[in-house]
Amino acid sequence: MIGGDIIESIITIKDVSKIYRVGTEKVVALECINLEIPKGEICCILGTSGSGKSTLLNLMAGLERPTTGSIVIKGKNIEKMSENGLARFRQKNVGFIFQSYNLLPSLTALENVSLPLVFRGVSKKIRNQRAKKLLEQVGLGTRMNHKPNQMSGGQQQRVGIARAFVANPDIIFADEPTGNLDSKTTVEIMNLITNLARENNQTLIIVTHDVNIAKYADRIVYIFDGNIKKIEKTVKVEGEVI
Amino acid sequence: MNSIDVISMGLRNMWRRKTRTILTVLGVIIGTSSIVIMLSLGIAMNENFKKEVESMGSLNIIEVSRNYGMREGGSTKEVKLDDKAIAKIGAIEGVEAVTPLEFTYWKFGAGKYVGHVSVIGIDTKVMDKFNFEIEEGRLLDESDTNAVVFGSYIPEMFYNPKSSYYYDSSSSVKLISDKLIMTMNMDYGERRSRQSSSNTEKLPEYKVKGVGILKQSAGETDYNAYMNIKYLKKIQEESNRARSRNSRGWDYGESSSDSYNNAMVKVKDINNVKEVQEKIKDMGFNAFSLTDILESMQKTSASIQAILGGIGAVSLLVAALGITNTMIMSIYERTREIGVMKVLGAELGSIRRLFLFEAGLIGFMGGILGIGFSLAVSLILNKAGLSLGNFFGYMGEGSKVSVIPLWLMLASVAFATLIGLVSGYYPARRAMKLSALEAIKTE
Repeated sequence: MIGGDIIESIITIKDVSKIYRVGTEKVVALECINLEIPKGEICCILGTSGSGKSTLLNLMAGLERPTTGSIVIKGKNIEKMSENGLARFRQKNVGFIFQSYNLLPSLTALENVSLPLVFRGVSKKIRNQRAKKLLEQVGLGTRMNHKPNQMSGGQQQRVGIARAFVANPDIIFADEPTGNLDSKTTVEIMNLITNLARENNQTLIIVTHDVNIAKYADRIVYIFDGNIKKIEKTVKVEGEVI
Repeated sequence: MNSIDVISMGLRNMWRRKTRTILTVLGVIIGTSSIVIMLSLGIAMNENFKKEVESMGSLNIIEVSRNYGMREGGSTKEVKLDDKAIAKIGAIEGVEAVTPLEFTYWKFGAGKYVGHVSVIGIDTKVMDKFNFEIEEGRLLDESDTNAVVFGSYIPEMFYNPKSSYYYDSSSSVKLISDKLIMTMNMDYGERRSRQSSSNTEKLPEYKVKGVGILKQSAGETDYNAYMNIKYLKKIQEESNRARSRNSRGWDYGESSSDSYNNAMVKVKDINNVKEVQEKIKDMGFNAFSLTDILESMQKTSASIQAILGGIGAVSLLVAALGITNTMIMSIYERTREIGVMKVLGAELGSIRRLFLFEAGLIGFMGGILGIGFSLAVSLILNKAGLSLGNFFGYMGEGSKVSVIPLWLMLASVAFATLIGLVSGYYPARRAMKLSALEAIKTE
């Protein structure tokens, strides 16, 4: 599947299906998914709305449980974990970037970024250091004490990115990260995310319906009607500016 | 998530919704203070009862009297209250002292003054055990025979029969230093014209000495004089014999020297009074203590307190619903926030703790401020209540309308906090169970 390369895979999805019950009707969101994502890869899950791509992301993040099949992340079957176990698992291994940023409106940029460290029980001094560093990396060194409503969409998403990377997780999920942004900002944000991920050899999984976004990935997984239609490696042209 | 973060985040959330937090806290303040104030009225009432009963005498003293064969149940057997019985009562566990009592009535002469005085004979050995407090001189002891200790109002009962004013300069009577005469002759010292039976045998007159005057107690001891019971019974019998001779065969009571009509028992611990009293009753005597009165008074005040407390509890219940409502509203508003926190790895316990902390703090603040408010109201009630007079009844001097003891303050703060936690439990659980996925869904 991974074109012959033997690389340690960080996520292994096997025979996963997800069926919702709406009243008496069954809605099949995912039919039978098999997918392996190697460590350090930037993987894009591309599909139209209703294709099941978001469901797949939720399953991988442990926000939902599959109807059948198994999801193994870093050697652990997450579909068998308790809710608290999943919370701790996300704390340690997963970062999130949302389409609508999902910053806490009452907290400053710095506090928002350090939130994942708060849940880990990291002391204030250390988490502020770490959060500052990340905010500087995303170019918001001067806006640390701004509240989300004092920032533009692009700036808010930078805060969101800093928050996703602050705990240095192995996997980062980005759900339509540029869905609410204009095209110029989209480019900036995408470059920022992919660069950060590559710097630390982190696995980045981007879910989108936007083909342009998919170009930033190493691999594109096409999802259609709850099935993987095809998996395709992107061809990187040296010096190409997207 | 460590406790400091829970606290700071909770405080920040509450600060964010100042108005609502303040209103909710206000509800708890009203609830707490209504309970506290209502209870304080009951407590004050109880204390006033107690004070009043105590002013009637000591709470740990049992009065014993001979049973004249009229014991309920129809038993006609009379039990003698003699030295043996006294010793037996003295041997009951918890009894500190016991003394037989003899109630007599004498005419006293002190210089040109005379007075009618009720004299109680007691066992001088144990007089100091019966809460007698001396103002002047000393109490009786074992060696005393013809010594007398007077109640604080006795001097005022003396008058000069030769004066035209009936009560004349009573303060000039010096019962301790003056020579005292004690007699059953009620005409002693009066003007000749008032002496009716001059041809009869003269009743004996006894020289006695005053050794002490008791402190004012606002009870019956103020109006009595005390003497050695052995001596008192002796002179009483002598006088009675003389009187019997005068009235030709009329018997003025033939009491043997070791049989008494009354006795008084002091119990060490106030909590044993009831028990000792029962045992004395079982021996066949009548026994009475002020605890009986206090008990029935306390029963009354307990039911009044329950009613008052109940009224207060209703408002605290309303406040509790207010807390629950506020917290549920807060969860609705913060649904997305809670969802984000969950996705970012907040454990269930952390979320629950966060909400419980907020609810508990609302309760705690309400409790603290409620106590402050209650203390202020209590102060005003005590100031205004006294001038209002006997509004709640039983209002002697120095009595209060409202009393808030320390335990009530601590208990109500603890209770308010508990109410907060209980009210917050359901919302906290709801927040905890909230589906993260639903919460963060984009519209």
